[in-house]
Amino acid sequence: MSKTLTKPNTVKARAELALNDEFLRKAVKFTTERLRNGKKNASAEHGNWDEWRERGRQIRLHTIAHLDYYLNMFVNNARANGVHVHFAETGAEAVRIALEIAKHKQAKTVVKSKSMVSEELHLNHALEEIGVEAIETDLGEYIIQLAGETPSHIVIPAIHKNRHQIAELLSEVAGEKLAADTTVLAGFVRKKLRENFLEADIGMTGCNFAIAETGSMVLFENEGNARMVTTLPKTQITLMGMERIIPSFQDLEVMATLLPRSATGQKLTMYMSCITGPRREADADGPDEMHIIIVDNGRSLQLGDPEFQELLNCIRCGACLNACPVYRHIGGHAYGGTYSGPIGAVLTPALNKNVAEWDDIANASSLCGACYEACPVKIPLHEMLIYLRRRKVESGYGNKLESAGMKGFASIMRSAKRYRAALGVGKLGQKLVVRGGSIRTKLGPLKGWNAYRVTPSLPKTSFRQRFAALDEEIRQGLNEMSPEMRSRMERIVKQREQGKGGHGHG
Amino acid sequence: MAETDREWLAKLEAQSRAKQEAFMNGIAQRLKRPRVTEAPAHPFRGAPDFWNAFEWTPEERIERFSDNWRSVGGHVARLAGYEDVRSFIAAKANEMGARYIIRQNERELADLKLEEALPDAVVSVWNSDPDTNWKARSAEADFGIVMADYAAAYTGTVAVLSSKDKGRSVSLLPTVLMIVIPAERIRTRLGEVLIGFDRAGRENLPAGIHFISGPSRSSDIENDLTIGVHGPGIVYALIVG
Amino acid sequence: MKVSMFITCLSDALFPRVGEAMVRVLAKYGVRLDFPEIQTCCGQPAFNSGYWEEARASARTILDAFEESDFVIAPSGSCIGMIHHYPKLFENDPVQLERSRRLQGKSYEFTQFLVQVLGVTDVGAEFPHKVTYHPSCHGSRLLGVKDEPMELMKNVKGLEFVPLPFAEDCCGFGGTFAVKMADISGAMVAEKADHVKETEAEVLVGLDMACLMNIAGHLRYRNEPVRVMHLAELLAEGANLL
Repeated sequence: MSKTLTKPNTVKARAELALNDEFLRKAVKFTTERLRNGKKNASAEHGNWDEWRERGRQIRLHTIAHLDYYLNMFVNNARANGVHVHFAETGAEAVRIALEIAKHKQAKTVVKSKSMVSEELHLNHALEEIGVEAIETDLGEYIIQLAGETPSHIVIPAIHKNRHQIAELLSEVAGEKLAADTTVLAGFVRKKLRENFLEADIGMTGCNFAIAETGSMVLFENEGNARMVTTLPKTQITLMGMERIIPSFQDLEVMATLLPRSATGQKLTMYMSCITGPRREADADGPDEMHIIIVDNGRSLQLGDPEFQELLNCIRCGACLNACPVYRHIGGHAYGGTYSGPIGAVLTPALNKNVAEWDDIANASSLCGACYEACPVKIPLHEMLIYLRRRKVESGYGNKLESAGMKGFASIMRSAKRYRAALGVGKLGQKLVVRGGSIRTKLGPLKGWNAYRVTPSLPKTSFRQRFAALDEEIRQGLNEMSPEMRSRMERIVKQREQGKGGHGHG
Repeated sequence: MAETDREWLAKLEAQSRAKQEAFMNGIAQRLKRPRVTEAPAHPFRGAPDFWNAFEWTPEERIERFSDNWRSVGGHVARLAGYEDVRSFIAAKANEMGARYIIRQNERELADLKLEEALPDAVVSVWNSDPDTNWKARSAEADFGIVMADYAAAYTGTVAVLSSKDKGRSVSLLPTVLMIVIPAERIRTRLGEVLIGFDRAGRENLPAGIHFISGPSRSSDIENDLTIGVHGPGIVYALIVG
Repeated sequence: MKVSMFITCLSDALFPRVGEAMVRVLAKYGVRLDFPEIQTCCGQPAFNSGYWEEARASARTILDAFEESDFVIAPSGSCIGMIHHYPKLFENDPVQLERSRRLQGKSYEFTQFLVQVLGVTDVGAEFPHKVTYHPSCHGSRLLGVKDEPMELMKNVKGLEFVPLPFAEDCCGFGGTFAVKMADISGAMVAEKADHVKETEAEVLVGLDMACLMNIAGHLRYRNEPVRVMHLAELLAEGANLL
């Protein structure tokens, strides 16, 4: 089922492909706009949104700062509930454990509900290699699995596909022509997957949250497939990132307030399921055996790193993708990793020890901060992107031309004298390219810029050259400052000296 | 020599326990401090204080719950008593031609005596005999009928808890879901329901606690809303009292 | 009281009129701006690209330039935002860290100073044109300058304000981003220009010349006759100061 596509290996090249795909751009734009408006309305309607964000952030900060305590507590409680808990330091280790369970259960099919960790591990492929059929059951995931692709959005995986493409894929499975009608297509998938749910040997899920005090795992979803997967097969395997922990059910209320509103603008997803162990002996449904695989796979690298630890606060809502203007134009696949958008641009290099090959992703951002503003737990992604760029430069992977340029920048900017001289040289240089007060050349350093814009030329005099005359004129005609203004200013200076910011100015 | 299931699980558990210490120590080491083994102060537990003080009157809760439930495509009926519940379900079953009905094994639902109200339908009671495949029975059902253990008005959510007598499948597999909600079980906030599970403690929790806020839905195809993708597409909230 | 002007390298070199507008508007209220000659650039281009050593070299000129000032005012939320990053930039240098914190506490974006410090929301200007406004990301999102420009514009006589659709979306400038990821940046500025067109405004105002240069550059490239200006210029023109 998985098709290997050769993708270009830079963000820039992948983005170019996306930018030339009119349908993709329209589809992504349409959906992200709807989602972000939904989020805006839902958070405004709920009210006090910043207080909720701050509370969510505090709970996540606290849990991660004491992760050994809470994770350990979760593990002990889950075991007491009858869950078999496993630890995987690497993706390979997690795959090995999952395969061992599948082999031992002599499983033929595994039904899966949406799990980004499973995408991280490329688990479907591994299962297929030992002859186990892995079936994605989330409608969007099912579609992209048929297409042999990977999710391009963490909440709406098939955001890049239109109904005609989907109808074609599903018609192939059905063996007959299905109309490109959403209801028909979803109806077909319902019927088709229902058989799979009832027959599968193993149900596999991700994990939105894990409650330390009770050893429960929590899943948010709208379709009901995660409930199917945790109710019908005899064996359940849950893949859980080691940072998914929250202390209590009370804390779950905060996450349940933030996650659905941020993801889709819903007050709550249609289903929220809290699973505490396998079925009780007298129960007539639910799994007989339940496994939870706790996955590190690069997550612990962020612990104790003051610049990146907050990355572990992420609740995977996708709000940063929907808010991001870059994501809107290039879609998820251009990011080249499991996670896309602003969170992916930081998380992918972070989980991969910041190796150089991932670092160019950090350049695909204008640092506008829309991601931070949208984030329900206030992760400063826009700052983390800068830290990634700095680490790349510091470890010697900087672009040579750019490094030389920046050295020049520093040498000019460290002295006003050289800076003045540079303005002069600039004026001289531009004489070659200015036409009618502007610059339109598509050569040299302005090539990319001028492909879309006209550059203004330098004016005859800079501000600093003009200032002395201006100041002389001002001095002569200066109005008297009103006493009220003066006292306002004095008060602010005084407050500042006493250590108060004043006027919310930080 | 093939190992038994029990041996295999014991082996896995031994591996897991051995690894647990290293895993936790690794976290502490990364955090550059000794292992935390005592409960740390958790000053920001749960929702902000202003929120916890928020409460609607019982009548408001019913109204807001109903509004929310309808807004996502669910149906609501406000019924005076269980006699009305019985006739409502019977009327709907006749209207939709429901042939197979499954209900939880609960007193309130037994008292409805649906078998008598619907002589042509097959009414099954969850887990009422050990030889039936109850998951399959639920899957073939047209109607699933459950009691809500709790409800939260602010989000328009009901909570159903699993037990020997209350299958998870009953609220999931049938085409139509009927949830009977005694009005006094409707709280204002989700948190009022959740805190009960903290208080109950791990040992007293059921295997499945399911919060349901409307019909199964998806927007995965061109962001076009589809109802009834995997779970019930038609859901009734029958508020009693 | 020493109120100093941080012109920012972009306005210094390319848009001196913005500086002049600021000087004249503030002079109306008895504020005579001081201009420390040793200032260069806030260091943001180097900082954002990861060249922090180079950014520090530049930042030191700003710390030196405004050591003695009581207030520092710039016509850019982005460059003031960069000053807010100085404590992080100098986190391992206790002396510069202390100076950075002091500078951060006294730095203001132009409209922030006008409204929050001076308490001025009506400069007595008249500007009978259809105007739309692009809130630059750093100023509005990271510095929180949102209401100040709106209040100032509300009190300009004759000004017909048209809200910009998706105003909060980035224009695609992002410093070196516009060069490194030119195609993505180009798509973003095109979308922004489309939204400006939709408003049918004659004038686009903003608080950051970098973003305005980007949008104006694209509008010009498409031969759209929209006038693009800094809010300081609009206020100064409207009050017959420029």
